[in-house]
Amino acid sequence: MAIRHYRSMAAAAVGFRLVLVLFGGDLHLASRPEVSTPLTSIRRLAEGYWLKQASMSPYSGSMYHGSPLVLSVLGSLTNQRSIGHRAHIYCSLIFVAVDFIAALFIRATGNRLQMARNRNLQSLELTESVSNSVNVSAGDIVSLIYLWNPWAIVTCVGSCTSPIENLMVVMMIYGACSRLAPLAAFGYVMATHLSLYPAILIVPIILLLGFGPDTPPTKVFRIKFSSASKSDISDNDKSINLRDVQQFSWKPVFYFILWLLFWSCYVLLSSSIILNKVGSLQEMTYGFILTVKDLSPNIGVLWYFFAEVFDFFRSFFLIVFNMNIIFMVLPLAIRLKHRPCFLAFVYTAIAAMLKSYPSVGDSALYLGLLGLFANELAEMKFTFLLFFGYIGVSLLSPVMHNLWIWRGSGNANFYFATGLAYTCLQTVLVVEC
Amino acid sequence: MAPPPPLSPPALRRLLILALTLLVTPVATAAAAEEEFTEELLLRPLPDRTALAHFHFSSSAPPSAAAGRHHHLFPKVIAQLVQQFHIRELELSFTQGRWNYEQWGGYDPMSTNYAKPPGVELWASFDLSLGEIDATWKNLTHTLSGLFCASINFLESSTAFSSPHWGFKLNKGNLRYGALPREAVCTENLTPWLKLLPCRDKAGIASLLYRPSIYKGYYHSQKLKLTSSQSFGIVLDQTLTVVLQPDSVMGKQLHSADGQLQPSWSMKDLFNRNLLGKCFVSKSSRVFFEIEKDIFDKVDKSGTEASWTNELFVLSPAPDRVLKEINNMNGQSSSLYEYDVSNYEDAHLDVGVTWKLPLIWSCTPAPYHANRFLMGSGNERGSISLSFISTNMHKQLFDSSNDCSIKAVVFQVVPWYVKVYYHTLEIFIDGNSKAISEVVDKINVTPSEDKLLPGTLEMLLRFPCSMQSATLSLDFDKGFLHIDEYPPDANQGFDIPSALVTFPEFNSSRNYLETDSLFVSPLLQTFKEDGAVKSYTEVLLVPLTTPDFSMPYNVITFTCTVLALYFGSLLNALRRRTGEEERELKKAAAKRRLIPLLISKIRGKAEPPPPGSSPASVLPSKLLLKVVFVAVVAVVFHYLSNS
Amino acid sequence: MASGRGGIPGPSRPCRLPLLFLPALLPLLVLLAFSSSSSSSGVAAAASPGAMHNNNWAVLVCTSRFWFNYRHMANTLSLYRTVKRLGIPDERIILMLADDMACNPRNNYPAQVFNNENHQLNLYGDNVEVDYRGYEVTVEIFLRVLTGRHESAVPRSKRLLSDEGSHILLYMTGHGGDEFLKFQDNEELQSHDLADAVKQMKEKHRFKELLIMVDTCQAATLFSQLHSPGVLAIGSSMKGENSYSHHLDSDIGVSVVDRFTFYTLAFFEKLNMYSNASLNSLFNSYNPSMLLSTAYYRMDLYERPLNEVPVTNFFGSVMKTIHTDSGYSGFLAAYNDGILLSTEDNLLNHAMLLNESSQRRSNIEETEEAQLRSHGLTEVLLEQLDGKNADTIAMYGLGTMGILLAISTWLSM
Repeated sequence: MAIRHYRSMAAAAVGFRLVLVLFGGDLHLASRPEVSTPLTSIRRLAEGYWLKQASMSPYSGSMYHGSPLVLSVLGSLTNQRSIGHRAHIYCSLIFVAVDFIAALFIRATGNRLQMARNRNLQSLELTESVSNSVNVSAGDIVSLIYLWNPWAIVTCVGSCTSPIENLMVVMMIYGACSRLAPLAAFGYVMATHLSLYPAILIVPIILLLGFGPDTPPTKVFRIKFSSASKSDISDNDKSINLRDVQQFSWKPVFYFILWLLFWSCYVLLSSSIILNKVGSLQEMTYGFILTVKDLSPNIGVLWYFFAEVFDFFRSFFLIVFNMNIIFMVLPLAIRLKHRPCFLAFVYTAIAAMLKSYPSVGDSALYLGLLGLFANELAEMKFTFLLFFGYIGVSLLSPVMHNLWIWRGSGNANFYFATGLAYTCLQTVLVVEC
Repeated sequence: MAPPPPLSPPALRRLLILALTLLVTPVATAAAAEEEFTEELLLRPLPDRTALAHFHFSSSAPPSAAAGRHHHLFPKVIAQLVQQFHIRELELSFTQGRWNYEQWGGYDPMSTNYAKPPGVELWASFDLSLGEIDATWKNLTHTLSGLFCASINFLESSTAFSSPHWGFKLNKGNLRYGALPREAVCTENLTPWLKLLPCRDKAGIASLLYRPSIYKGYYHSQKLKLTSSQSFGIVLDQTLTVVLQPDSVMGKQLHSADGQLQPSWSMKDLFNRNLLGKCFVSKSSRVFFEIEKDIFDKVDKSGTEASWTNELFVLSPAPDRVLKEINNMNGQSSSLYEYDVSNYEDAHLDVGVTWKLPLIWSCTPAPYHANRFLMGSGNERGSISLSFISTNMHKQLFDSSNDCSIKAVVFQVVPWYVKVYYHTLEIFIDGNSKAISEVVDKINVTPSEDKLLPGTLEMLLRFPCSMQSATLSLDFDKGFLHIDEYPPDANQGFDIPSALVTFPEFNSSRNYLETDSLFVSPLLQTFKEDGAVKSYTEVLLVPLTTPDFSMPYNVITFTCTVLALYFGSLLNALRRRTGEEERELKKAAAKRRLIPLLISKIRGKAEPPPPGSSPASVLPSKLLLKVVFVAVVAVVFHYLSNS
Repeated sequence: MASGRGGIPGPSRPCRLPLLFLPALLPLLVLLAFSSSSSSSGVAAAASPGAMHNNNWAVLVCTSRFWFNYRHMANTLSLYRTVKRLGIPDERIILMLADDMACNPRNNYPAQVFNNENHQLNLYGDNVEVDYRGYEVTVEIFLRVLTGRHESAVPRSKRLLSDEGSHILLYMTGHGGDEFLKFQDNEELQSHDLADAVKQMKEKHRFKELLIMVDTCQAATLFSQLHSPGVLAIGSSMKGENSYSHHLDSDIGVSVVDRFTFYTLAFFEKLNMYSNASLNSLFNSYNPSMLLSTAYYRMDLYERPLNEVPVTNFFGSVMKTIHTDSGYSGFLAAYNDGILLSTEDNLLNHAMLLNESSQRRSNIEETEEAQLRSHGLTEVLLEQLDGKNADTIAMYGLGTMGILLAISTWLSM
């Protein structure tokens, strides 16, 4: 049963965004360090576009570090100023649309997951529980969570490019869930191209394409199967069904890899055309991400760490912190290989926590995905702590930032403390999930 | 300091050289005659009851091939500097205080050539291929820092200097420009500068330089300019420009109701020193007293002749000569009264002026007063704003037709931690926003690179003549630095060096009618040179946010703890749950009251152990194996470490 | 400097020359041995560890920034004036001043620094040469000066070019504490750092004898780690004691001199270049009741009896020149070598040090080539596209991408 007022609520969310975009000019969300990072800031994008128009490399000013594709799409929009509105209003409108599309994709993903789960449960003859869980339509809830998530709203209205990144990740997951290899490959390539960290999502994507949306652990089937055989109901359908579930189908994966190659070539080619003989794409984007060159404050902890750490330890810690993300990829993949969607969610959360320039936009994404597993995570511990922790951090962070930067009465440690708390919360969330 | 010239070792060769030297001596003296040194001093009363004194010492050496490595008058250090670094042109200035363009004039050779930004400014153009220049520049800064006791070596890092293309001076990429706005300027910089003079400060005009009085002034700029070429050799111009408050008793007299009488002063009042003859090796040694055009206008109005004594002022010793400015525009012009120091060997030359009537005059200003300031509050972002206010000077020069336009070139270097958004350039003319293409004729931006390059902005603007004021603004974000990159007094803020505004259509050169055609005074020569009117803007002080300097260890440990916490707990959760899931699933199944499954489970218990239990029986032996392995390793390690 | 690459000409390094030019100089040495016993003994003495004392150096450091630390600069400048008066020339004094007091806007007496409220003596004078000033005075630079490990571009006037016949006076003043001395109110010189630098100097034969004089709170603690022979240390106060300023000048507004330095100067004012006052008499002149602290002497590393060592051994100057013809030619060769080496070194260094910035710069200047090289793949394509607007092509490309995506997704459904 779907939520009754889904459409009206989704429309209200979009409307709310539009209202904020059109009339919330005084919020200055675009300059909040929690919202826009050096990678996603639209102001930097405008500067990169200006440099490009002046026939220089858009990366030459150490300002813009994003993708050339985004630059060419949004760049021309940043140039147009409409009188009486904020500078980047057209971009903001695009972001609203992008956010809405992402919500639709999340909804579709949720529905798929639910269907798959129901099918599994049916195959396990848990018909009762099927009928129980159908009560709540996961897709609708999830997309509403995403649409009404205050952080998603703030990110969207604050006109930074992270909604696009989020859309690509969601598109990839949807494509993989519905075994649409081109879509999944496109989302994967674009997401990796835009922010590098989604590269680790290749593991859940392949698992999703191979196994299908949600496979219960083999053991359950084995138990089921053995119990079935014990009770002498040796049904052919069951064994076929079991084989179906167990089998890793290589075909979609193969298509995926083909499409992956195609899209990567396409993206690389088009970005080199856009950059038009100006090199150093990798160095200025991925290099910038991995070496944490910009020490301006954000909601994470790495900026302050690298501002204070001794220079000769810098490269060591860079390696350690970057490896930290990769370290967990394999154990988690082994552990959660039967639930690739959940695995994707965990990876997203880890990347959002450990990435070099985190923002609330990344959190909005994984919190949105969290809704997909509302059923499973119903028994989660510390929900109270987490909920109010998130609220506390999002209220304290602007206050501390204001005290430090604007009033000069606080100091950097105050703001850093909120960053620490935020990282702790995310840790708790990931671990408890 | 300079390494001595290498001598040939063996005695035989030495003899030979001796013989050669004897032979060559006449030639050498002839060559030495070409090395010249002149000293000059220019004095000028300024409208705000101060006085300008401008010392000009000029030395020149013929091309090095002619004279070899020996110098009689020319400082050897400089010659070596030029040779080693292949310098074509170099200018180094140490300045304290800011030239007051409103009061002291902005449209004369003095303000164009000798008004410099506060701190140290260095530019040099080299005779080298483009690839070698940066390395040479680095060595040059170090050498100059040793030579002049200043931290010029801070200009060596690539974040500190820039290579302007046309905004500063037209060049082919071989020019480097750097400025240190906060550099202190004091005696220790003047001393080595004086040591370049053949008489130091022991004789001649330089003996006037009594440190406490010249450093007391409002403005103090010490400059060294080098030009070298194959044909002319090396020309070294050393100038010191000071604006002083004459501390004479006369100056304190207040006059009657119609204003204050200008202070009457003489050189003794300015410097607290007497001029004791000339420096004997100098070719000429002269003192000029300049009277502004505006004063002559007033003299003319009152109908007396423009001579050294009239109803407004009297110069105390009678000048040897009067030089009139050749000005084709109208009759009035400024005059120079010349004194030759060699005529005053016995008596002290103490040039002075005595004012008879209260007088208010003004110096010719530049077409626009350029000011620069910061806007915005907080430590996150701000904007730089450059404002031009018309002085309506051009209306006197051009016929005030409204179609004309005035060009202005802006050159500005911004350190990398001030991250300028060039796309936010906005131009307001008379308060109205204008499209950039309307005003900017040409723009060249070298954007800053983090920790690598400063940003350079060169703009050619074209203002309509009717414009009264213009404002340019650029937004910037304030960067965040690494804790080691902050200076010790980080809370004081960081400096953005002065911007330079040039008005290429306005020429500040002044031609003086010289009676002596044989000798050209280097001072007047510089006045004659084509010089576009220039003015430097203020240095900006940008406060940057600082991190907490006191506790880097805390930050490092906290961050590492949090990350370790994440890593450890996640690993723990993964390990713990391997067996848990099944149980939970079963629990869930039980909750859902799935009876068949439950029954089967119960039944399963009675069955012989499923294959899953077989590893369990292996487990103890595995564990035992592991323990044994670890023990063996420990023993071996212990044994090895002991032996 | 003795250990550096520059190869420093000077009569003060006879000991190294024989080693370097042994084959060439052997006959000359023999000749010398016959011709003048004194010079040969000089060479022999130089070759042995106990080289002759033949020159003097002084390193004077004021480590404090900010106007209220005026007295530290006055301390340093007083010492500077004293050693200059007693004969150490400017090029053998490394003067480090952490801030500009003389031309500070707060200074009522521009270009003048006084250490007494009677303003009799302008310490800044007409002829002061400051080698390191302002932000340059850091622990790193200080240690570099002591150990002689500079960048190749650093000029000679900023280097401590001492050798194993040198007596060095190291005077430091600033704010300190237990085993540290603050630099610029920002970083600290630890006693370990100092001891390590001294040890390196000893190993590199950069001094014969070293007198360290420190005027700071708990100065004695700064010497606790020293172990190199030939080092004599004087501190203004014991551990746990403060060093106090002497008096306040109400015209200038701050204290102008510290007690320890004040009484040191009082001792030296009575002396001239030729006086024979011993170090012992200097040490005895410190009166704890006047200093309000106990002056501390560390003498255990020093061999000679203090009452036989005149203060001018450190505070004055010896400039012994050993005239040997051979040395001259050797020096010349060394000099030539040095020059060649150093310039070539520089060039090499710079060729290598063509750091990113200059690369970037040249990149900007010579974009064409670099970019063509970096994008060989798309070169052909780009040439074909030349003349058209790359942006529109890119937009078309992106549009095509969307269409492709839609079609492919639809097909695979």
